[in-house]
Amino acid sequence: MEKNIKTNQIRIPAVARVEGHGNVLVEVQRGKLKNVKLNIPEGPRLFETLVINKTPSEVVNIVPRICAICSVSHRYAAIRALERALNINESKGTHLLRTLMHYGEMIESHSLHAFVLALPDFLGYPSAIAMVDKFAPQVLKALKLKKFGNEVMQVVTGRWTHGENPTVGGFGAIPSHQELIALKKQSEELISDAEELVEVMRNLHYPTSMEDGMVFMCLKPPTEKYGFVGNSVLISTGEEHPIEKYKELTNERIVAHSTAKRCRYNDKPFVVGALARMNLLGERLHGKAANCFKRCYSLSWIRNPLYANLAQAIEILFCLEEIPQIVDELIKREHILKTETTIKEPSIKTGKDVGAVEAPRGTLYHYYEVTRGFVTNANMVIPTTQNLDAIENHLRVAAQNLIGNITQKEKKHELELILAMIVRSYDPCISCSVHLVDLGSA
Amino acid sequence: MDKLKVGFYNFSGCAGCLLTIINCEDNLLDIFNSADVVSFLMAKSDNIEEKLDIAFIDGSITTNEQEEFLKELRARTQKIVCLGTCSCYGGLQAMEFGKGNWQKRFQKVYGTKPFTVVQAFESQPADAFVPVDFYIPGCPIDADLFLYNYARLLKGLPVDFPKTPVCIECKWRENECLLLKDIMCLGPITASGCKARCPSVNLPCVGCFGPADEGNLTSEFNLLKEKSFNASDIERKLRIFGGTKFIKNLKAKLVSKSIH
Repeated sequence: MEKNIKTNQIRIPAVARVEGHGNVLVEVQRGKLKNVKLNIPEGPRLFETLVINKTPSEVVNIVPRICAICSVSHRYAAIRALERALNINESKGTHLLRTLMHYGEMIESHSLHAFVLALPDFLGYPSAIAMVDKFAPQVLKALKLKKFGNEVMQVVTGRWTHGENPTVGGFGAIPSHQELIALKKQSEELISDAEELVEVMRNLHYPTSMEDGMVFMCLKPPTEKYGFVGNSVLISTGEEHPIEKYKELTNERIVAHSTAKRCRYNDKPFVVGALARMNLLGERLHGKAANCFKRCYSLSWIRNPLYANLAQAIEILFCLEEIPQIVDELIKREHILKTETTIKEPSIKTGKDVGAVEAPRGTLYHYYEVTRGFVTNANMVIPTTQNLDAIENHLRVAAQNLIGNITQKEKKHELELILAMIVRSYDPCISCSVHLVDLGSA
Repeated sequence: MDKLKVGFYNFSGCAGCLLTIINCEDNLLDIFNSADVVSFLMAKSDNIEEKLDIAFIDGSITTNEQEEFLKELRARTQKIVCLGTCSCYGGLQAMEFGKGNWQKRFQKVYGTKPFTVVQAFESQPADAFVPVDFYIPGCPIDADLFLYNYARLLKGLPVDFPKTPVCIECKWRENECLLLKDIMCLGPITASGCKARCPSVNLPCVGCFGPADEGNLTSEFNLLKEKSFNASDIERKLRIFGGTKFIKNLKAKLVSKSIH
């Protein structure tokens, strides 16, 4: 995969084990770092224009297709935005089912990323499949966790990916008693596997060559608990802002070397995702997830993006500990669940608002304007877009630190691996970056 | 006998069809062991681009780079298999196909700045550029149908995909017909294979597997009109996942007269 174009250029033409297409270019002139770029040659699909003149429920059919790996988060963000715009109140039962599906996606996406896509780098393998020879129990446990995440989404949304059951106003159908009990049982059984995998991730050697201070952002859960939704944003500078200010918080802009939109806050790169959530909300964890957090957390977590993989492993554990409690609550209200989750029609047909959720890889904002029952304007700010400047910054720092002797094949290979690991650690979802297109500057 | 050389490729889409393959956790090792998987960028980093027996394609074609790569892939591949509604029919990003508004929409999102190397165009299915051997539609594909056909292909058999509409599977699941409740369901004209997932949760089929070979578009259209849905609402719904195939069907049928 990694090819040498010129002696003064390092190019990773297509970063493997990420969703979508991205390439890294490092240019060195006379031993000095000249340029570092992360380019995205993903084809444009123009989602912002596809949702125009559609009904709210059609929008909810369309937007999950922005990205399969975050499909539940896209659906949930759109539902939150549209329900806020159209004054629909989320019932308790609906909220519980939505939380359950969201945890399913976290478990599936994090298991895929941390153990299948990122872990092989640390252990020196080209893929998780290739790891089976020596690490079969760990790979099988990771796949079991991933499968359970899919099972949760299957039960609640109707399919592993793009299940249409959750929609604006409620659910088409609710899971059966037996299905809920089975999820609870499986979740409890998987906790020890998840703890073991946290240990695997904790004991890895984390390279430090890309370390640099980071600014973190995530949604503030409405209760005192850890969680993945909220209507305000916490920043590691100590600030808190309502999600209505999402544009000022993310400042999407076009940069000179690419039409890929980028985000900055106060003119600085910032980071969203599991590492941001752990840094900002980790103290809210309880149970085994809290113990793991205390055991694993160090000051490196505010400087080293690779710890996102470990943060994801702890979030899997958090979700597994939460699911039995959510199931208990759902079962307590089973007599009213069908009624309270029945799809509510909006009483108004015109309105506008923003909705946000934490996708596995970071804060996701959807904004809609609805006029007489049809969407007339839309905007989506995607986690990967928000992280691109930070990714590039860490790529630059690593290249700067490792640039000496890159004429030696071994050193060059080390740098190439670190650069790919940095990109991967952000769990980029390039299909998601609906705004992005490459100018071909590389 | 040597294992067949296969590759999995992602063009423009949500990557959900390749994800569906990776989601076959119980079969993942078999998928990788029963063939020589030489390229799968999303799943591994030791990829080799060489002559292939089978290439699986996810996503539609939207840039000149993708078009060139697809042609190069075709030249070195025995069988090309389109996975999912995007590579089969252009996907939901082709929902406006034939309206001639793509340039305007592109500029709305990206501005008027000219592109230097990558040229983008309205999303099209793979067979708009190269001959395709087999189609496995779905948004995303159904895992069971993929595994069944993966095994067939590795044994040299053709893809076996149902020609019947969603209604068949819906009846098997003994769902109450949503059209009888005056809900705009696209089941009668949409390819089956999804196990009638949406009608089974009381929601109408949105058409995500694309048009069914045996679906009667004219009849569905007239039925919906009888139920007082207006032509523009019906067309909008049909276009979302119908892609370029819907337009072709539309042109081929009398129904085009009643829509326009």
